[in-house]
Amino acid sequence: MKFSVREQDGVTILAPKGKIMGGPDSTELQEKLRDLIKGNTKRVIIDLAEVDWMNSTGLGIMIAGLTTMRTAAGELKLSRVTDKIQSLLVITKLVTVFESYDSVDEAIKSFTK
Amino acid sequence: MARRLSKIPHGVAFPSDQKFLAAVDRYVEQELKKAGFGKDVIADVAISVSEFVNNAILHGNRQDESKLVRLELYHAPGQVTICVEDEGEGFEPDKVASPLEGENLLKEVGRGIFIAKMLVDSVEFSRGEKGGTRVKLFKKLPV
Ligand SMILES: Nc1ncnc2c1ncn2[C@@H]1O[C@H](COP(=O)(O)OP(=O)(O)OP(=O)(O)O)[C@@H](O)[C@H]1O
Ligand SMILES: [Mg+2]
Repeated sequence: MKFSVREQDGVTILAPKGKIMGGPDSTELQEKLRDLIKGNTKRVIIDLAEVDWMNSTGLGIMIAGLTTMRTAAGELKLSRVTDKIQSLLVITKLVTVFESYDSVDEAIKSFTK
Repeated sequence: MARRLSKIPHGVAFPSDQKFLAAVDRYVEQELKKAGFGKDVIADVAISVSEFVNNAILHGNRQDESKLVRLELYHAPGQVTICVEDEGEGFEPDKVASPLEGENLLKEVGRGIFIAKMLVDSVEFSRGEKGGTRVKLFKKLPV
């Protein structure tokens, strides 16, 4: 798994690519999220379009991001959740926890509503 | 960097470090592909295997690289069985809390086994010869 980071309209978009299964690259992603929060970033989107699949490690990273972001009065949202990941969110009931959008643009707009 | 998996009968063995996860995943996905499984089923099995391999490395062998994780893979037409075994002290799978209940929902950890069970047809825990955990998962091709 690799990931890219970009900013658009004051929102940071984190886009992982590949599989989030644990190990060194997952740790890097987790650290990136932590750094963003420490650096006072309040609006983050994790764009999942290019993620083949994830396991509990990936879900754990997203939850950690969400809860620390909310504690810092920020918000973390998801965009372009693929079918495989959507079904994991459903079985783990995390679908009730995350806000998700069909496109990055919609996710960005949701911050300024 | 040593990321080679050792061949064992019907599978692979590797030291308890998460840097081997990607290689293990490649091995499993390649074998399932050769056996004719479709993309969706391969993903379900691979996710499930990754959960048990992570648990073997982290909880079973506690990342002690002198301890090995062994993965065996058996397939027959339309079905696959995969065993993951560690050299840890074992645990009581029945006592693992549900990740859906109350405050567990927002915990960072505690959903691996739950997810793995949902994605395959059966998961059985037993103890290996030396007392470690042995997990056997079974998946049938959907008809
Ligand atoms: N092979 C193992 N050896 C010893 N204990 C284990 C083993 N597998 C699981 N456990 C125990 O069962 C618990 C639940 O495992 P599970 O995979 O569901 O969650 P987790 O590993 O804690 O978190 P994650 O959501 O990241 O997988 C673990 O925390 C651990 O205490
Ligand atoms: Mg686990």
